[in-house]
Amino acid sequence: MRFRRLSALAALVALPAAATAQAKKTTRAPSPRAKLVPECSWKPSDAWVKRQAEFFDESKHDWTNDSLRAALLDAAGLKAPLKIPVQFGVRVEGSDATPPTSAGVMVEALKKLASTRGSTWPTRSVVGAAGTHAVYLLVGLDTTLARIALHRMMEAGPAESPAADVATLEDRLRLLAGRKQIYGTQFRRNDGKVELAPMEDSAHADLRREDASLPPFELGLCMAGVGERKG
Amino acid sequence: MQIWFRFVAAVGLSATLPLSLASQVATPSTGKVTHVSLAGEAAGREPKAFAPLVGSWVITKDAGQNVLFIDGRVWKRGQPAGGLADKARELYGARNEEFIESIKAFAYYPIAVYKGLDNFENGEISVRFQMIGGTLDRCAGILFDVKPNGDYLTVRYNGTEDNVVLWTFNNGVRKFVNRAPTLVPLELGTWHTLKVSIHGTSMKSWLDDQPMHDYTLPHPVAGKIGVWSKTDSMIEFADFTVTPTSK
Repeated sequence: MRFRRLSALAALVALPAAATAQAKKTTRAPSPRAKLVPECSWKPSDAWVKRQAEFFDESKHDWTNDSLRAALLDAAGLKAPLKIPVQFGVRVEGSDATPPTSAGVMVEALKKLASTRGSTWPTRSVVGAAGTHAVYLLVGLDTTLARIALHRMMEAGPAESPAADVATLEDRLRLLAGRKQIYGTQFRRNDGKVELAPMEDSAHADLRREDASLPPFELGLCMAGVGERKG
Repeated sequence: MQIWFRFVAAVGLSATLPLSLASQVATPSTGKVTHVSLAGEAAGREPKAFAPLVGSWVITKDAGQNVLFIDGRVWKRGQPAGGLADKARELYGARNEEFIESIKAFAYYPIAVYKGLDNFENGEISVRFQMIGGTLDRCAGILFDVKPNGDYLTVRYNGTEDNVVLWTFNNGVRKFVNRAPTLVPLELGTWHTLKVSIHGTSMKSWLDDQPMHDYTLPHPVAGKIGVWSKTDSMIEFADFTVTPTSK
């Protein structure tokens, strides 16, 4: 049972997780972990799910660079359309899956793009919403690139960058910089137990998470299995 | 129904005045500290002591005390605060249209203008702030030199950059003026104080009593004052204090 839970969690946070996103639509779409822990469930009508659905709605082809989008999706191991919700904001240190082999080439391409003054960053209007999630997954493979990318994603604004990805990436980079996270998306193992990585102002966490289209804090803790012992 | 607002002067002056008389209290009392109290304001409502011109500014409670909250969650591009025309008319009378046009160009930047002082030229302005959130920005600023055409200056702290910067807004264009050299990471959910001091063209700023700016402005300031923020910032402001001086 414990192994099954961990596997379910890994599927949540792993790089190609969204590639498995082609599951059938159901009226109630629990997270993998919710099958095991009912209180971890969510509904398509939840506000944060609806906001992610709005951002990742690609029913209208309104992006400009199909070839770059295809390369990004391939490198990140994604297939569009992505299953909603795309971002649960639950990342357990050490649980990231090995990226596809093509990821390295695309990371280098993104680095070059990031260092070119005046270059067009792959935002929603350039590579579509799924493309921006691919960018999030890829920049996470290189801390230096991730720092530049986070700035670019923030600058682009909420219509161009997926807020939940921006928040999750910011938390990760804050921890890497020796600061505390602010959304509560990063977890680590301590003596086998999953625990929330250091966080500041947890009292207002839900305000920030709502703004970032992330699930409520308690749901995030539940999905991560905080306090549970894992191998 | 008559609307009332209250401001309390630290020198002991306590007054309750009709909102429509706001301009009559606007003459600076040189050297006197005016601490803007929000105690009489209604939680969940727009502030009465400030005119919210851009953004969603509401009175909220923090640890049982009223504070002024800019709620960036409802920020939308190009959307000024509700009732902008009425508020601009109250502040600037016949020149309100010019003000509105300029302010609309700055819709990324929520501002709330203090109603109790028409013209600030010299002295000190301080405000306490607490960052609550903001995916794109976490900005808390002091607004000054607010002109009838909507031009203004602001010294702000940005929690996504950890810095204090002086910006100018002229004719619909925002321009960087000067960045304080010290980076100061601040934790969310903790209170801090931002202060500016203006004497002629000398502008100094402090963050929690730590010197930030010592800058010479191109011209002396003259205009209204208030608080400033940016895009989706969620910030609580409290203890807005102004001490006008003659020079």
